[in-house]
Amino acid sequence: MIHLGNYLALSGIIFSIGLVGVMTSRNVLKVLLSLELLLAASNLSFVAFSKFNGDYAGQLIVFFVILVAAAEVAIGLAIIVVMYRRLSTIQADELKEMKW
Amino acid sequence: MSLYFFYLFAGILIFASLAVVLARNPLYNVLALVVAIFSLSCLFVLLEAFFVGMVLLLVYAGAVLVFFLFVVMCLNLNTITLTSAQQSRFRLLGCTVGLMFLASFGLAFKSFIRAQTMDASNIRGTIEIIGKILFTDYLLPFELTSLLLLIAIFGIVSLAQGALSTGKNTENL
Repeated sequence: MIHLGNYLALSGIIFSIGLVGVMTSRNVLKVLLSLELLLAASNLSFVAFSKFNGDYAGQLIVFFVILVAAAEVAIGLAIIVVMYRRLSTIQADELKEMKW
Repeated sequence: MSLYFFYLFAGILIFASLAVVLARNPLYNVLALVVAIFSLSCLFVLLEAFFVGMVLLLVYAGAVLVFFLFVVMCLNLNTITLTSAQQSRFRLLGCTVGLMFLASFGLAFKSFIRAQTMDASNIRGTIEIIGKILFTDYLLPFELTSLLLLIAIFGIVSLAQGALSTGKNTENL
């Protein structure tokens, strides 16, 4: 039998991997992909809690998270395309226009 | 049985998310995220969250990640040139995957024919429960989500218009 702890451990592992990706990668596209991993990890723990508590609201939250993530990805990719057009690169270090 | 499946999909998920972070080629990052989302939706099915698993597969693997792939190919970050030996290998791989898909389609069709003669199942789906909660307790957040998507559309259109008018090197795209 699979316990709640298994799912939570898996979710924690995926969250840590995604967090490392957000922190270390300089490519903006990779940062967005790692953010997707963070959202996926939280989705997994929401669904696991929903199953083991018998409360379907957790699955509904996942539904909302997917919707918000879709909006976030659309805006983020639009910003990346604009950034590539203006700077010809998608490295986050090159964004120096708003530096004090 | 389900424990083995849990460990299988958990292993695939961890491996794929490591590939998302560690792979150098952006194309491979996106494709690894497709694999990760697919195994995540398999885990959702194991957790009996069928509706959310299907939505995840359709919206994420189907729409969002194809959008990612589109942007990666649009930016053309690194061009890969294939030798003819590699090309024939990919062709063989593609034919194998296509035949596997065809076989699974045949199996699905067979089970569809068998399912038509069976009585209605008494397993309650998750769609009706989720729909009931969604349109009673969570109606306001649901409506606000549509507003959020509308604002996202406005943002994307204004970003695209600004890029068109002020783009310096638009010939690259």
